[in-house]
Amino acid sequence: MEQTALAQPFRRSAATHALGQNIGLILVCILLVASIVAYCGIYYAAQQRFPGGFEITSTVNNTMPLVLAALAQTVVVLTRGLDLSVGGMMDLSNAIAAVTLSASLGSMVFWSMAILALGALLGFLNGVLVAIGRLQPILVTLATLSIFQGLAIRVLPQPGGAVPEAYTAALVSTKAPYALLYVIAFGVLWSAFRRTRLGVSILAIGNDAQAARAHGIDPTRTRIAAYTLSGMLASAAGLFLAANATAGDATTGNGYTLSSIVAVVLGGVSLFGGRGSAIGAMLGAFVSSMIVNILFFSHIDPLYQAFYEGLFLVLAVVLAEAVGRLVRKAG
Amino acid sequence: MFARLLQSAEARRILYAYIAALVLFIIGNIVRPGFLSPASVESVLLIASFVGLVAAGQTFVILIGGIDLSVPWVLNAAAILLATSSLGENARTTQAFLITLGMGALVGLANGVGIAFLGVPAVVMTLAANGIMEGLTLGLSGGMTCESCASYAPPLVQALTHSKFLGIPSALWLWLAITIVVSIALSATRFGRHTYAIGTNARASFLAGVNVTATTVILYILSGIFSALAGIMLVSFGGQAALGMGDPYLFQSIAAVVIGGVYILGGRGHYIGSVAGAICLVTLISVLLALNMPEYGRNIIYGVIILLLLLFYGREEEES
Amino acid sequence: MTVKTALGNRLTPAVEASNVRKAFGGVVALDGANFSAACGEVHALVGENGAGKSTLIKIIGGRLHADAGEVRIAGRKVSLSGPDAAHRLGAWTVFQELTLLPWMTVAENLFLGREVRNSLGLIARGRLFSKAEQVLADVGIFHIDPRALVEDISLAERQLIEIVRAITQNPQILLLDEPTSSLVERETVWLFEQIRRLCKNGTSVVFTSHRWNEIRTIADRITVFRNGKDVGTFTELGEEEAVTLMTGTRVDVFFPPLPHTPQSVPALSVRELSGTRIKNVSFDLYKGEVLGMGGLAGHGHREVFFSLFGAEPHSAQQIEISGKPVRIRNPRGAVRCGIALVPEDRKTEGLLLPLSVRNNLTLTILRQISRFGLVRAKEERRLAQTLMERLKIRARDLFVPVGELSGGNQQKVLLGRWLLAASDVLLLYDVTRGVDVATKHEIYELVLGLAREGHGILFYSSDAEELAHLCHRVLVMREGRVAAVLSQPGITAEQIVAAAMREQVAV
Repeated sequence: MEQTALAQPFRRSAATHALGQNIGLILVCILLVASIVAYCGIYYAAQQRFPGGFEITSTVNNTMPLVLAALAQTVVVLTRGLDLSVGGMMDLSNAIAAVTLSASLGSMVFWSMAILALGALLGFLNGVLVAIGRLQPILVTLATLSIFQGLAIRVLPQPGGAVPEAYTAALVSTKAPYALLYVIAFGVLWSAFRRTRLGVSILAIGNDAQAARAHGIDPTRTRIAAYTLSGMLASAAGLFLAANATAGDATTGNGYTLSSIVAVVLGGVSLFGGRGSAIGAMLGAFVSSMIVNILFFSHIDPLYQAFYEGLFLVLAVVLAEAVGRLVRKAG
Repeated sequence: MFARLLQSAEARRILYAYIAALVLFIIGNIVRPGFLSPASVESVLLIASFVGLVAAGQTFVILIGGIDLSVPWVLNAAAILLATSSLGENARTTQAFLITLGMGALVGLANGVGIAFLGVPAVVMTLAANGIMEGLTLGLSGGMTCESCASYAPPLVQALTHSKFLGIPSALWLWLAITIVVSIALSATRFGRHTYAIGTNARASFLAGVNVTATTVILYILSGIFSALAGIMLVSFGGQAALGMGDPYLFQSIAAVVIGGVYILGGRGHYIGSVAGAICLVTLISVLLALNMPEYGRNIIYGVIILLLLLFYGREEEES
Repeated sequence: MTVKTALGNRLTPAVEASNVRKAFGGVVALDGANFSAACGEVHALVGENGAGKSTLIKIIGGRLHADAGEVRIAGRKVSLSGPDAAHRLGAWTVFQELTLLPWMTVAENLFLGREVRNSLGLIARGRLFSKAEQVLADVGIFHIDPRALVEDISLAERQLIEIVRAITQNPQILLLDEPTSSLVERETVWLFEQIRRLCKNGTSVVFTSHRWNEIRTIADRITVFRNGKDVGTFTELGEEEAVTLMTGTRVDVFFPPLPHTPQSVPALSVRELSGTRIKNVSFDLYKGEVLGMGGLAGHGHREVFFSLFGAEPHSAQQIEISGKPVRIRNPRGAVRCGIALVPEDRKTEGLLLPLSVRNNLTLTILRQISRFGLVRAKEERRLAQTLMERLKIRARDLFVPVGELSGGNQQKVLLGRWLLAASDVLLLYDVTRGVDVATKHEIYELVLGLAREGHGILFYSSDAEELAHLCHRVLVMREGRVAAVLSQPGITAEQIVAAAMREQVAV
């Protein structure tokens, strides 16, 4: 049949597309490499040797809670929301872990599962309030943050409790950076998740919830699932926090809310939803860690730490925006 | 015109906020008789005025769909700055004020420029500004160990803050004056119209000839000034600055604004509502304190009540 | 117009609506409407804005629920819970508001919900892209890259993808709401080919349109709607007859005559205007002239308009307004220099929908009615009411959110804002798009009235007939340059289209 040809075909290579569409991920990789190089350089200047196994392991272990918090935040941010209760969730699971975990394998497994289930439940609550209650995410999670923090203090009024050695070894082994295996595992899981129905739905409603609905995606169910998943990941972050600190504290999670947002932004995930990769957010978490290390070893007055972190955040975002704009214009 | 005003959903939300505040006062009186006494009401309103000051700035930026997360450390820095630049001397009051409010305006300017010209999302820019102010404050004051850090606000200012006029604390008169000025600015000026237009649709406003970038920058400058003003009031009231004194005001200012019916994504709402929201919030906290509830209980109930308030009238429109 | 058997090859109508009622708050959109489309037929719905056509389409497509009445698909009564319920019954809709996801690729959008999956149940991206390539080729589209993000393709391309998505579902019923509003001539021809192909296979195609020549070309039957009810179904219908039926009044002349000649003083003088997509555009716009701009969409019109208004980066050797050289850096500056722009998309670029009619009208000229920053309410009210009278908008709508008005009235409010600005030069970009016939006529009168008053009007329209009848001269753009300048008397739509398409690959 005679067809009307509309215009001449023009195809860019798959590589060009991948480059243009994943610019955020690429930038955070560059940032990470640059910050690692800077860290090594400054470490060498300060200690006359390169960072060794101990430094690497402790850096990795210290970053694990943020890695998971960033993962949790990503899932919600992709739906065009914001989860301010991440820190509270971490406090709560940290507190419960410190109080309940005992040295037996059964106890560790059971209570870990229970805490993850609780996180999922609390995330489910957030999701229901946002999706069915039709409340703005930033406000719901502001309120639930308060509730979770309160619960955490109830469970563990004073810092204390103990986390069994075996647990710590399993999550954040002090011998070598085995925790990186978890990171890689999460990365692989994310790539797979991105291609499941739920993963696609989450990105779709972050793009345009109305349009997604016209495609047969249920925004309500998807949002609830996203917040539930986020809750589970946030409580996992709390478990890593407990494992790393080897003791419990119902307030150390508080700072992670805003840090997780920073990691997500550094990782190239858009706060407007619909695009970005959790892998980027995890790498962003490591970039944040590197910055702290760099500041420490450059002997910068620790009181000024927040200043440099803030400055870095702005510069990183402005730069990323500028580069992104150039790339899209060139493409 | 009033009848038409009351028909609008916006006006109704503000009304509900005031009713909620009243209800909370009554509950407070039931829980602890004497809560409704003039002295008790006055002290609640006084504390609410501090939240209200910060909420004024927050209202401005939320109306254009932004947010100011730099409140905690601008406030804190202002408190310390007032004390250290006046060194407790009346003679230096004027310059101390100018320096402190100027600092707030400067941070606001930086926020506004980053957001309006460099395209940094508001959450990120103001978060970064908060960190920068925290670092500068801690660093320059040596963690509050510097010589002048233990200074007080000038006695004149302290006296003014504690004084009463016609039986009502000056701080409340100040809040009233600010409420009037801000309300007029939002409702009756060209600037206010531009603000609402930008909050509704920045692109369309731009194409209608509105100076979106200038208005945005001015709004963030105002927010910075109000945060600094709150810091000045707090240190004048309390005497000395302390580290972390600004932290509670971030979430409280946002909650107050939202309870007051301002739409978090911008374009709808009014400061009159934020005033009610501030009162609601502080009343709630006072009631919880009056119940001698332990900290964890206060946190939980605080969160639950906020949720209930939001569910009651903070819901989004049904997607048709 | 072809006379085809009205019932196609099956006797049961593919889709039927009986006595359908639908109200939004106090506004009645459908008031006992009846409709029926047969298998294999192309059925056009025509009527003014607000007559109920879009509402009916949305109800049949599952987007809305009827308050009363019955909808039958293939003879069976249905109650649709949502668009996917309609999809399951084979009824697919292409809406005016596009439902593509901007940050996902074209391929992902085409197959959302039915992606190619591997053995693990995960989406196989490589195979997804090749399948998309195949599907696009099957319908004759070769210029859209399946790997491209929807965000990065043009509005017309997005509309094409939206259409492809629906037609590749093998629909029993295809509903199109103003499908050609963003398409150009060639793409419209392509669409009609696809429609004919579907109809041959028994699909029933229902579409709404304001464009009479399209309806004449493709529709087998036409149903006219007025005030929420169907007022007649025809196999043949003349344009004037249709307008009478749609409005209930007789409209004598469709295009008002052009009695006056422009002055010889230029209101706007442009030399060597260049920017993205435009090169060395030069022209004079005289006071009292309606200068049309025609050509295929995407050939630089939008860029010319937005550049002259300062909303797009550009460079020019010289731009003069009423003889004074100006440099326009942003819309604010443009307004000060005396230029007004009525943009393409009134809902997202023009009006502030939740704000009142009054606030929308006075937004640009607030400075002139303010003293010390305070807006003078009385004067504002007076200005707004006078304007609304002139524009024939109900006085009690002054405080109504402009989003609640009909499309035609919304467009009038937008025009009104710029009338208040009293600019020397008016840039009108497709101001009659999606506007019902009666309001179109009012807008034509308005435009000519403004010209008579001495304003210079640059008038872009995707409707070549409009340009031919309304403009003193027409600039035809092609590939970002001025390809031809046509003058009255005797401009025809064919001339415009021919000038636009010269040197294109022959269809």
